[in-house]
Amino acid sequence: MSAPDIFYVEDDTDFAFIMQHAIQEVKNDLSVSVMGNGKDALDALNELSSERVRPRLIMLDLNLPGMSGHELLKKIREIPFLKSVPVVFFSTSDNPKDVRASLEFGANAYLTKPSGYLNLVSCLSSLHDFWFTKHVSVN
Amino acid sequence: MNNYQVDLTNCDKEPIHIPGKVQSHGFLVAVDAKTFDITYISQNIAEFIDGDAKNWLGKNIKDLEPVLLPNAPTTQLSQLLNLGAGNKNFDSVNPFNVELNGEAYYIVLTPSGSNIILEFEPTDSDLSLDVQKAIGRSVSEILTGKNLTAILKNAAKEIKKIIQYDRVMIYRFNEDEHGEVVAEVKNDDLEPFMGLHYPASDIPKQARQLYKLNLTRIIADVNTDASPIITFEEGQPLDLTHSVLRAVSPIHIQYLKNMGVGSSFSISLMAHGELWGLVACHNYSPRFINYKAREAAKLVGQILSSALEYRQDEEDTEQLNILNAAAGEISTRLKTDITIAEALTKGKTTVKDITMSAGVAVILDGAITTIGQTPDQEQIKEVAIWLQSNMADSIYYTHRFPEIFGPAKAYSENASGILACALSKDLSELIIWFKPEQITSISWAGNPEKPAEPCEDGIMQLSPRKSFETWEQIVKNTSSRWTNEEVTTVVKIREEVIYAVNRRANEIKLLNERLQLAYEELDTFSYTISHDLRTPLSSVKSYSEFLLATNKSLDDQAKSILGKIVGGADKMNMLIKEILNYSRVGRADIAFDKIAMTAMVSEITKEVISALKSENLQLKIGDTPNIYGDRTMIMQVFTNLINNAVKYSSKSNPSIVEISGKVDGQETVYSISDNGVGIDVNYFSRVFELFKRMDNVQDYEGTGVGLAIVKRIIEKHQARIWFESKLGVGTIFYISFKNL
Repeated sequence: MSAPDIFYVEDDTDFAFIMQHAIQEVKNDLSVSVMGNGKDALDALNELSSERVRPRLIMLDLNLPGMSGHELLKKIREIPFLKSVPVVFFSTSDNPKDVRASLEFGANAYLTKPSGYLNLVSCLSSLHDFWFTKHVSVN
Repeated sequence: MNNYQVDLTNCDKEPIHIPGKVQSHGFLVAVDAKTFDITYISQNIAEFIDGDAKNWLGKNIKDLEPVLLPNAPTTQLSQLLNLGAGNKNFDSVNPFNVELNGEAYYIVLTPSGSNIILEFEPTDSDLSLDVQKAIGRSVSEILTGKNLTAILKNAAKEIKKIIQYDRVMIYRFNEDEHGEVVAEVKNDDLEPFMGLHYPASDIPKQARQLYKLNLTRIIADVNTDASPIITFEEGQPLDLTHSVLRAVSPIHIQYLKNMGVGSSFSISLMAHGELWGLVACHNYSPRFINYKAREAAKLVGQILSSALEYRQDEEDTEQLNILNAAAGEISTRLKTDITIAEALTKGKTTVKDITMSAGVAVILDGAITTIGQTPDQEQIKEVAIWLQSNMADSIYYTHRFPEIFGPAKAYSENASGILACALSKDLSELIIWFKPEQITSISWAGNPEKPAEPCEDGIMQLSPRKSFETWEQIVKNTSSRWTNEEVTTVVKIREEVIYAVNRRANEIKLLNERLQLAYEELDTFSYTISHDLRTPLSSVKSYSEFLLATNKSLDDQAKSILGKIVGGADKMNMLIKEILNYSRVGRADIAFDKIAMTAMVSEITKEVISALKSENLQLKIGDTPNIYGDRTMIMQVFTNLINNAVKYSSKSNPSIVEISGKVDGQETVYSISDNGVGIDVNYFSRVFELFKRMDNVQDYEGTGVGLAIVKRIIEKHQARIWFESKLGVGTIFYISFKNL
């Protein structure tokens, strides 16, 4: 089994659809795996780590059903094999309080979802540049 | 005999019941009540029998009798004495007819300690009419009076008819025992004493005591000398309280002489066991009326007394009812929805009418409302300030305010009496009732006295005018007293006012709470809606853009349509963002900080210029003094205002926008002006309303929320915003912040 490049937790299926296509547009050989809630996400991540594979980037929405994005982050950080995987929050909220809380919980970055497909593509492009090319050593 | 010297300084200590003298129109013999031995005798008995009065002291009445009354049956006097002693009073005996030296005399027996007094006085008087019949008619006349004043007038009239003195007055004793002439009937040629007031000291205490026990007094002739009573009992003067011949105080005699009065007669008027007043009769020449006539007059007095009691009580109750009715009406008004001030001061009945005051001031919510006769506003404020420091309870009253608070002497005319009631704990809300100085409400029309020889002890100057002046001095700076009824009514009304205030305050509190809840609900609602609207909107835009970017089978029209969809979604998004902002202002807590305005204005202008891409813009930034406020919110305010200024003047060439601030006393005022499209004066009232956009700005982008947000933030900062504008010329917005 192999891990996806990007592991994305998002409950909005519309947005998830757009995301997947936008990621393809940025680099069409990136693989994306989408989970709709924290529990499923954890199960999947645990399975991956037991197989000794991990994604190159985890992206989380803040507002998830059941377990919140922050709780999920905490639990992810408890998985030793995934310790080095960068976790980026991707949320509609631009509230500074949410930003600070996310970083305190241990997120590597916090991004506000841009509006529209075109903006999303350019945002993901920067993200890809940063995490996938320029800082390969971090991985 | 006593050697007590009396003058004006000690006349209230003069023991008038033991003068040791009798008036000389009759004579007196006093016997021991058990032995009938003669213990006291007046010297002038010598006019009726030969020999010195002294010789009779110690002898028995039985011995005197045959000498005094040779034609009467023997032991008649002793029998009289026995009869009276047996009955324990002499009412059935008095007066007893005898003949003395061929003249008709009455004997009047009265008790005096362990003695019995026999007084001999003439029967003769010029009253020829049948006194009893006259009284019967009089009494019915008197009692027809519809009110107190009428009864008193009628009584004076009838009494004058019966006893025919030159002047008959009725005195009433007021609070503090001052006297007042409340009714008068007199001969035409005499000056009026009606309305005269005199101090309590004019009729000293011991006189009043005596008048309660002996209901009539006569002074037959001021110019005769009184006759001394002689006795072997040294140091034990005879008590003449019940005597009919008692000699009166020389001071009183002088007073009458000063007035030119030759004789006087007075009757006590009692009510509730106390001396209500007197019927005082003066004659300008000596006059004597006999025992029967005096008793008849006394009877009239007694009947008058009971009528007075009844009518006085009636009038007091009526007075109380009027006060209570007024209080009831005020109370009813307080229970309705009109303001407290209105309930107390508007309408036919006002809070003034619950007391017998001349005026009232109501101090509520910082405003002073006056009704009737009161001091002026500044003086009332002065009184209120004094009350705040000196009122220990919620009610304070005095009838001599200028004596207590010196500065009030300047307006003693209006405020000699005050009754204050506090409505709030800090005593800043008051009702003050005012009573005028007694003197100003009373004036006496009497004539000036005739000049008299000045004398050191002042006795020569005794006169009604002097009495009035003395009384005036005593009552200076005083008003009539506040009655228990008035104070009770005020206490009641105070409770009602406080209750009404609380009720209104509670209602307001409830309203505020409800309003607060509604605001919070609305804010939560706005926030939630906006938030929940943005997600699907985002999808619309994203999907549309996705199609545009990736679908190769779209023709030009399809692309154009998709473009419009995206445009629509963008606009909606902007509106939702603004609404979100607006509702956030409502929910946010304000964090006060010093704001470096120079930096902020510079930052904002840079952003606005780049966002709006304005050409031909001349921007002038003047002084930018720092202000205190919430950084985020203030930034929002200036962003919106500067944005508007640049946006709406973008069609002007050149567009001129000026921003400057100025410290002005307690405030800092900023102005943002532009030379743009301006605001139609008809819309001035709607400028800050949510979603309202003017007709003249349809070409300009905008959500109609920006100024509403600005206003909300300004309100949260307790600052002020206003503007000046002219269509087609330009607009200036001003905001003023309080300096900390």
